[in-house]
Amino acid sequence: MSDERKTDLTGDLGLDAFFSAARDDTPMPSGDFMARIEADALAALPAKSQQAPVSIPLWRQVLVAIGGVPGAAGLAAACVAGIWIGVAPPQSLSEIWSQSAGLEAYEVDPLSGFDLAMLEG
Amino acid sequence: MPYDAMNEHDDEELLLAFAGGNAAAARALTGRLGPRVFAHAMRMLGDRAEAEDVAQDALLKLWRIAPGWRVGEAKVTTWLYRVTANLCIDRIRKRRGGPNIDDVPELADESPSAVDQMQQKSRAEALQNALNALPDRQRQAVILRHIEGLTNPEIGQIMDIGPRAVESLTARGKRALEALLTGRKAELGYEDDE
Repeated sequence: MSDERKTDLTGDLGLDAFFSAARDDTPMPSGDFMARIEADALAALPAKSQQAPVSIPLWRQVLVAIGGVPGAAGLAAACVAGIWIGVAPPQSLSEIWSQSAGLEAYEVDPLSGFDLAMLEG
Repeated sequence: MPYDAMNEHDDEELLLAFAGGNAAAARALTGRLGPRVFAHAMRMLGDRAEAEDVAQDALLKLWRIAPGWRVGEAKVTTWLYRVTANLCIDRIRKRRGGPNIDDVPELADESPSAVDQMQQKSRAEALQNALNALPDRQRQAVILRHIEGLTNPEIGQIMDIGPRAVESLTARGKRALEALLTGRKAELGYEDDE
């Protein structure tokens, strides 16, 4: 076998033929095995409800919509941070807010809506 | 409920129904996951009896954790592949030394179509024997990537490593497979396909 031929045979294409053969030759389980694992599954079936329908519960749909457990954790953290900033705003934030009074010079009143609501009681 | 009626539900939905005591979901999950877990164990171990034991064990673990399954955290199949592979690796490390690359059967002198089938079969067997000779982690990565067809990030989750480490493992595994198989390609009819 020439070096060139050997290089060709050991290329990706060569292995692909083997992988393809392996995919076509998927090991199939025996009927006995399938019966055994089905019996296991039925024996392990929780007995707390007789026939739980296969449906997606609302809480799960919401959880999935917000990105699963990590999404829920992020949302909870954001809520806690929001409440905390509202109850005890950091000093630096107050300083920035007080400087915003200068905005009036530009005829911008960031509190106008809030003031109006307070006046209406 | 017939199996077909469950096709619209993904594995996680069926597992939640299983946790709620739904027998049809148990049957559907068994039919869906059993062959897949068995095939993976078979490819990892190269031994039917051991693969059946491991697959049964992995599924039993799944049934046990079903009531506490944390939704959206991992795919059911990812969890199963991980458990199955770990059980396989435990067995491989206990036994050490399985079938050899030289155990590939000789081709029979049959009609062309039968020969083609034999060649396909022999290739699969030769690959399995070569896989058996690989280090555990390389074998696992190559099987998941090139036979099961999973993506590198999925394999990374199963093996608890990064995608680049997966690439490295599969590359090394493939190089080793090439080295093991090169000497056998001609007799397996590989050259006829060129």
